[in-house]
Amino acid sequence: MAITEAHAGRRYPPCDPYEVSAAKIVEFATALGDDSPRYRGESPMAPPTFAAVISARAWDQLFSDPELGISLERVVHGDQRFTFMRPLHAGDVVIATIAIDKVRVRSGSELISTTVDIVSRDGEPICIAQATFAHARGAPA
Amino acid sequence: MKATVVDGVEIGINLPALTVRFTRERLVRYAGASTDFNPIHYSEHFARQVGLPGVIAHGMLSMGTALRVVTNWVGDPSRVISYAVRFTRPVVVPDDADGVEVEFGGSVSAIDGSLVTVSIEAISDGQKVLGAARAEVDLGVRVPHRDRET
Repeated sequence: MAITEAHAGRRYPPCDPYEVSAAKIVEFATALGDDSPRYRGESPMAPPTFAAVISARAWDQLFSDPELGISLERVVHGDQRFTFMRPLHAGDVVIATIAIDKVRVRSGSELISTTVDIVSRDGEPICIAQATFAHARGAPA
Repeated sequence: MKATVVDGVEIGINLPALTVRFTRERLVRYAGASTDFNPIHYSEHFARQVGLPGVIAHGMLSMGTALRVVTNWVGDPSRVISYAVRFTRPVVVPDDADGVEVEFGGSVSAIDGSLVTVSIEAISDGQKVLGAARAEVDLGVRVPHRDRET
């Protein structure tokens, strides 16, 4: 199977709730080389792009959808936009839901535009993460 | 009230720059921290198989590191209300002790009330690796500044 323009509009079920932890925040900040005290201590906030950690669960739904025929190693990130309604803190429990906005099929590759909505368990909007991924089609096996 | 950087904010001012080395160790850390385990970020075999010149850094590592220019400057990361980039060129990370250097910079490109837009640059090996990179921060108070040219 392969992804086509007809997959635009496909919406996936919400990911399992994700609990933001102080340990994961400090791990992520350290990976960015950021020693800010805001990301450490008892009740840290998360770096803004921590939203990618949460989005990754939703992106994985897309990359592992057998109907789309995506190979992870053939995916590169084309662009990324985050709109933050409020920062994430340790203890937040959030739910990510992904939808395919648009698919552009080119010779040899597909451009897949997606939106991940990140909300609290009560439905409070926290972040909108819009990404375009370029998927290079491999030679037929 | 937290201290802000409002004083002296004007269109065109440069934020303190940041130079970072991306090494394979950094990529492994970022893979684990972000849960992005695409093998092009750790395996020469897979990277070359898909036509890349070698193992490349996660775009999100460049994006996340670049934002440090803004959050270091503004002091309070919760002031960031939007952030967007295009990944224009992969950052190839050699398998050695030095890795590759990436220089990040930023300048104020728009002011609207309390909202300040920072345009971000990321340069590696003389080439821009991020395009149209902009972060919007809400400084919480109106920023006094000279009228823009009309």
